[in-house]
Amino acid sequence: MTADVWDKEGALTKDTLLIEGPLRGGHKVDYDGNVVVMGDVNAGAEIRASGHIIIFGALRGMVHGGKDGNSGAKILALSLFPTQLRIADHITCPPEGYTAPRERGPEIASIRGNKVIIETLAM
Amino acid sequence: MGEVIVITSGKGGVGKTTTTANIGTALAMMGKRTLLIDTDIGLRNLDVVMGLENRIVYHLVDVTEGRCRPRQAMIKDKKLERLSLIPAAQTRDKTAVSESRMKELTDELKEDFDYVLIDCPAGIEQGFKNAVAGADRALVVTTPEISAVRDADRVIGLLEAAGLPAPEVIVNRVRFDMVRKGDMMTIEDILDILAVELIGIVADDEDIVISTNRGEPIVKNQLSTAGRSFRDIAARITGEDIPFVQSGGRNFWRRFKAVFAR
Repeated sequence: MTADVWDKEGALTKDTLLIEGPLRGGHKVDYDGNVVVMGDVNAGAEIRASGHIIIFGALRGMVHGGKDGNSGAKILALSLFPTQLRIADHITCPPEGYTAPRERGPEIASIRGNKVIIETLAM
Repeated sequence: MGEVIVITSGKGGVGKTTTTANIGTALAMMGKRTLLIDTDIGLRNLDVVMGLENRIVYHLVDVTEGRCRPRQAMIKDKKLERLSLIPAAQTRDKTAVSESRMKELTDELKEDFDYVLIDCPAGIEQGFKNAVAGADRALVVTTPEISAVRDADRVIGLLEAAGLPAPEVIVNRVRFDMVRKGDMMTIEDILDILAVELIGIVADDEDIVISTNRGEPIVKNQLSTAGRSFRDIAARITGEDIPFVQSGGRNFWRRFKAVFAR
């Protein structure tokens, strides 16, 4: 087991769980560490992780990064359109009328100034 | 040795029974020895859609509980020599059959048929588990509605967990006029979410309601576009490579008329 390492923003970067997707409705992942999914996370699927969550695919389901209260956790997806997105004790969902962000590209969610902020991932 | 194919959807009312009846009839029309099994115990319908309701003597639970041999429960189609049906029991519930018993039965039956099609009940409980138990292949029926696609996604996950790794999807009741206006999910939208292979697209067709009520599957109607779609699915099941047609119903007539309006 690797020792716990904390990055400068305080996110826990210990073990990482790698999952081959897609995660479909009804699938649940609960992990003490970071989670990386290769594939989509569909509506009805849930991921809870104490660290970061990275999705190489479309996020349509529910994700909770920093589930143990770590507000430095980040959530990254190639297409970020969750049913609900949680970081630490913050719970958010896309605003009404928000449509699938096909053309927007990869985005990253994090907490800044006590708010969940979604930003385009600069590549 | 034949293939056992389960037709499932999760959500009710998307057209599993109609699809089973039509694909089964189409396979028999192609000369394949085909058996349909209705596993919707307590809510049997497939016999009605096939127009065979009044010929039932024994049913699936009679077979699994050993009151009759499988042959005795098989009802021959009115016209197609190679098509038979084992109806569901109407007065019992899903717990009357077990997964292991169902698998034994389908393993035995596929020796004598080219295709055994299993009409799965709605839901993901015991009835679903029974229907899937002996299957070699799964077809998932959905419609271009978000709720049906959600349930299809969930069911595909369960099929994968049950060892049926590559379910194929049938998109039923597509209204191409609405798709063109952007009022209905496109086939691409659905496949984008489900990430599985497509095996059929069936247009929403009033004639299906009429044929279902008559107990005459629409594949027998050579003029119907929906009938043709089901025949195409049957051909794809047998391994033929048939291109997908994304039009149908009114659209066809509109184009037809447009040719003459010129």
